[in-house]
Formats: sequence, C-alpha cells, structure tokens
Amino acid sequence: MNEDGNTNFEELCVGFVLNSITKEEELEFKDLLKNASEEQLQLFQDMQSIASEMALLAYDQAPSEKVKEQLLEMAWASVNARTSGSNVHYLSRYRLSAAAAVLFLISSLGLFFFNQNLETDLQDQKEIVAQKESTIRLLETEVERKSELLAVLESRDVDLILMDGLDVNPNGFGKVVWDKDNGQALLQVANMPAVPTAKEYQLWFVINNQPFSAGVFAVNDPTKDNFFKIQEMNQSASEGAFAITLEPEGGSPQPTGDMYMLGAM
Amino acid sequence: MLFFLISAIGRFLNQDNTRDKDLLKRIARKDPVALSLLYDQYNKLLFGLLLSILKKRTEAEDVLQDVFSNIWEKADQYDPDRGTGYTWIVSLTRNKGIDRLRSKVYKEQKKQSTSLDDDNVFHPLFSKENDPLEDTILSNRAEMLRNALELISEKQRHVIQISYFDGLSQSEISDEYNIPLGTVKTRMRDGMMKLREILSGAE
Repeated sequence: MNEDGNTNFEELCVGFVLNSITKEEELEFKDLLKNASEEQLQLFQDMQSIASEMALLAYDQAPSEKVKEQLLEMAWASVNARTSGSNVHYLSRYRLSAAAAVLFLISSLGLFFFNQNLETDLQDQKEIVAQKESTIRLLETEVERKSELLAVLESRDVDLILMDGLDVNPNGFGKVVWDKDNGQALLQVANMPAVPTAKEYQLWFVINNQPFSAGVFAVNDPTKDNFFKIQEMNQSASEGAFAITLEPEGGSPQPTGDMYMLGAM
Repeated sequence: MLFFLISAIGRFLNQDNTRDKDLLKRIARKDPVALSLLYDQYNKLLFGLLLSILKKRTEAEDVLQDVFSNIWEKADQYDPDRGTGYTWIVSLTRNKGIDRLRSKVYKEQKKQSTSLDDDNVFHPLFSKENDPLEDTILSNRAEMLRNALELISEKQRHVIQISYFDGLSQSEISDEYNIPLGTVKTRMRDGMMKLREILSGAE
C-alpha cells in the first residue's frame, strides 16, 4: 500500500474507533481491514485500546441502584428459565416415606451422638474448671504466705541467725530472720531431707540450755529452699540459739529426735 | 508492535485484563454472580461515559442496562485475541451510546427538551483535572492518558475529545465548529497517531 493509501487507512481507522465517520466510510474501512497488513491490524488494535482508555477520563458517576437490580433480575430469570426445562424425577409416595424415615433415623442418631459429645465436653470442661479453681486457691494461699514472709523481711530492725547442718545432715543450711519488736520470725531451710512418714521437723529456741518450741514444719521438696513463718516468737533474749530436730508429727514438748541444725545468736 | 501501550501500561492492563477475561468467561457460562462483579467494576465508569454522550441520566441508565444485557447475551463472542475485555466492553458501550444519540427517536426528544433548564441533563463532558475514579489502577491509567493528551496540540485534542465525549461525527464537528471536514479528519488522525507514539514510550 502506498503512502496515500496508508494515510487513508489511518484516517478511517481513527474515525472508526471514535465512531465519527459515515456508514459508507465504515464499510470502506471494513473492506480495507480484510486485506490489511500486520502493521495495519496492529494499528487498529492500538487505536481501539487508546479509544477505550479515554473512557477513563469520563466523570465517575453512579447510576441508580435499580439498574443493577433489574439487570440481575434478568440474569437470574434467564438462568432459572434454562434450568426449569431440565428433567425432574418425581419420587413415589412409598419412596418418599422411606426417604423421610431414613432421614429421620439419621438425624436422630446424629442428634444422639451430638448430645453424647456435648455431655462429655461439658464434663471435661467442669473438671478443667475445678482444677483451675484449685490452682487459684493454692496460688492465693501462696501469695498470702509470701506476703506474710515479706512483712517480716520489711521490718527495719531484725536479727539474723545462721544455722549449720550437723552430723545427721552436714550439708543442711538454715537462717532465722527475727523481728523481735513484732514477735515474729522467718525461717529458711535448704538441703533438708524430706520428712519421713508421721514425722515433722521442730524448731527450738534454746535459751540458758532450756529449749522452747517455736513450731513444727515439714519439708516436702528438698531440692528447693523452704520458707516458714514462725508465728509466736515472743522471747526477748539477746543471747541463745536455734536448733532443728526431727520429732513425731505434731511436735514434742522437749526435743527427742536427731538434731539436724544448730545456730547461735 | 512491541513498544505500544501494553509495554507502557501493560502492568495495569494485564492485571485487570486477566480478571475481566475470567469474568467474561463465567458470564458466557451464564453466571449471574460474575455479571454482578463486572457491573460493580465498571458501572460508574461506563455510566459516566454514557452521560457525557447522552447528557441525560435516564437515557444513560437505559443504555447502560442494555450494554450489560448485551454482555450477558454475547459474552461468548468476546475474542481475547482481538483485544482486552475492557476494550471490548468500552467499545460496546460507546457504540450503544452513539447509536442511541443518533437514533431518530432520541433526536426528536432532544429537539423538544429544554435541556439547559432540565436538572436531569448532564452538562460536563469529561474530567480535565481532578481524578474522579475511585479505583487506583484505573486512576493511574487515566493519569497516564491525561498527561499524554497534554502533549498533543490543543486543536487535535479538541476534535478528539468532542468526538469521543460528545459523540459528534466528523461532519457534525465540521458543521458545529466551522472547521473544514478535511481539517477535522487530519487533526483527529494526527492527534491519535501522536497519542499512540507518546503512550508507546517511543518519544
């Protein structure tokens, strides 16, 4: 195609994609397209793309909702019309009853198992709640105990008495923090063996060779340091010693068992 | 032609085109949900285009419904080898809009209406500055085209925009703006060829 011919093709092509040429010119262009070169076909496609891109410059305006409603109504009606023509198999009364019975049986069984599962779940949840409540109670007790121990440590004027392990338990270690003003003390023990059955450790305050019981305690976990609050320590002596012996459960009026620790003030 | 539009804005086009093609395929299989999604994607843009051509909301809505009914009926005729789904849809919309504009009935109605006093009449042709599109990808493409239009001569831009957004034929432009028909054709051709060059990134 010569240059004039190509210019004519370009003019018609542009006019065609912009819908701005006459019907005769449109027919002429369609004829030209039939024998168009690759480049001319590409030009046509490019011009169509540019023309469609120009739509992006139109004002973004929303049509009323009814346009979409009517459109979708038409689309669904068309789909329904297509499907309603398909074959439908009708069930006999007997088959219908049988199907209903089977369905009822299946759904009843399903509900039964569902109910069983629910009860099991409920029971499990109750046990979990009970465990959590127990843990909470233990933690609350522990917090309370720690608070009491902290109260002793917070006192400004305290005596510190260190205790060493004796032959029965040479690695044992103990410490008494004594708040004389308030008559209470804190006992810390470490490396003490767990107490045997029906036995307890007993703490003694020994003054002028006279032992006074300061309370009993049990060590259940020897791997940890154990802390105890001594409730009644109303002694006012400035000299004396603390000792720990193994006694029958509940304690003894006088020391009877092996002495595990001893420490002087 | 390797350097054309696809290379310049291909990323955006391809992204949208895959989605459009999928939706058109589903519509061809008579999936109303796909039609609804396609409508949501393009209804505002196409309605804006129809408003710029027809100037009346009721007419534009009527043609818009006709366009999507046509898509529903003829989606199986869309050939991906001949262009993007978007191009097909816009081309269909413009053709429908201009057919309505040039129909005898519409011309009669237009003569009888007092358009300038009618609230139902839409006056602006197209957006020159502010980007009215909500969709970011479409908005980027619009910006690219707007910049390209700024680079062609005002006279060329004028005839292209009047033709595109007012739906006037070359001879109507010639009559209405008192420009020789040959000049209208040349300006339109030169302007579009220049746009093609600019958008291809060849310049």
